Amino acid sequence: MKSSNSVKTNIIWHRRLGLSVFLLLIFLAISGFALNHSPALKLNKISLSNSWLLSWYGLEKPLIKGFELDDKWLYENGNNLLYVDRQAVAPCSAPLLSVAESRSILFALCADTLHLLTENGQLLESFSQLDGLPANARAISAADNTLYLITDSAVLEFNPDSLDLKLSPEIESASLNPMTDQQSVPDFLGKQLENSGPSISLETVILDLHSGRFFGQFGVLIIDIVGLLICILSITGLLAWINRLRQIKQ
Amino acid sequence: MFNHVLKNLISKVIFTGLLTTTLLASPQLSAKGVYQSGPDFVAEVFAPQQPEPGVLWLNKSIRQQAEKILGHKVLGLRVRYHQSAGKTVWILNEIGKEMPITIGVVIDQGKISRVKILAYRESRGGEVRYPAYMAQYQGATLSDGYKLDKSIDGITGATLSVWAVNKVAALALYYHSQAMTQPESTKQTSESR
Repeated sequence: MKSSNSVKTNIIWHRRLGLSVFLLLIFLAISGFALNHSPALKLNKISLSNSWLLSWYGLEKPLIKGFELDDKWLYENGNNLLYVDRQAVAPCSAPLLSVAESRSILFALCADTLHLLTENGQLLESFSQLDGLPANARAISAADNTLYLITDSAVLEFNPDSLDLKLSPEIESASLNPMTDQQSVPDFLGKQLENSGPSISLETVILDLHSGRFFGQFGVLIIDIVGLLICILSITGLLAWINRLRQIKQ
Repeated sequence: MFNHVLKNLISKVIFTGLLTTTLLASPQLSAKGVYQSGPDFVAEVFAPQQPEPGVLWLNKSIRQQAEKILGHKVLGLRVRYHQSAGKTVWILNEIGKEMPITIGVVIDQGKISRVKILAYRESRGGEVRYPAYMAQYQGATLSDGYKLDKSIDGITGATLSVWAVNKVAALALYYHSQAMTQPESTKQTSESR
């Protein structure tokens, strides 16, 4: 009699637990499946820039600023991409520090890379910190067909053909007057800018929903509890199955 | 007898569950890092000699083939390399999953003699940089289909990084062949493109 009661209690609790977690369990299964196949589904390529979502993640669309050089606007679009007018030309870790032109080559100095561009705004090549760009480079300036790289402590002459850097002790950084003050980009780029700025990939959102992080610590706690309930559900299910086997045997 | 089997079954289920949980919960070691700068890698490869710098201009046909190898657009109009006595060094970037991986490839007489990950920026999949894994690329050449003629083993959890290294290795072999056989035809000015 006592055994029969415990079997009934077990089944009742199994049902209760199943009912309480089934919706979340289905969501976790689907989101887990999506995350497992994220590269195939290209979830990381789908960018979401809904203003509500951005504010939920504490992001806001920045005011895009850049430099006008040789009738072209060079700017970083808020998504770590260097643009020349409407064209994305290269990855560019924000901020875009300085631009210059020398011998028909446009130079754009981003936080960790110096990009060399043709007059038409096509990327020639990039010179990164891994290639020897000083980490403390803060500006570039052209004078007498020579490009100078200004760091916190020195002025270096940059050869765009060989990508060599040479110390120029006789040049004062103050005398070079580099372009470092960004201006707001003009209205004709407005449409372009509407589609730029920070965004969050669908993969990140699904991952955060899957782990509960989307709703902060509370969400994580809920998912933890659901995980625990699923464990208990498995055990009660197993016990129910064993009891049934016993009954059949008897 | 039945109880004994039952106890055994339950203990096995609990053990398997605990083991799985432990494995899943174990933190992934961060693989991010810059392991060697480009100039240091070049100096190490050619030491004690001083290599000659070279520039391969990506004309239309080279660019088209390079884009076929990579499966996407190629950034930049020219690629820089270093050479000495038929040996070239290429430092190329390719995105693994989301971030670029900087890879140094040494080609000697048309065969890969060394591949090294110089900078890895993804949070997972860094196992690809281990020397034992990189050694697989030694001796690889370019097949007719512009792919590596050797089969490279995959790594679970680093599939995209492995693909990126494979593509860069094939691309470096292709660039090497172009730099060695058609140095003049590829040395065009940017205005001519």
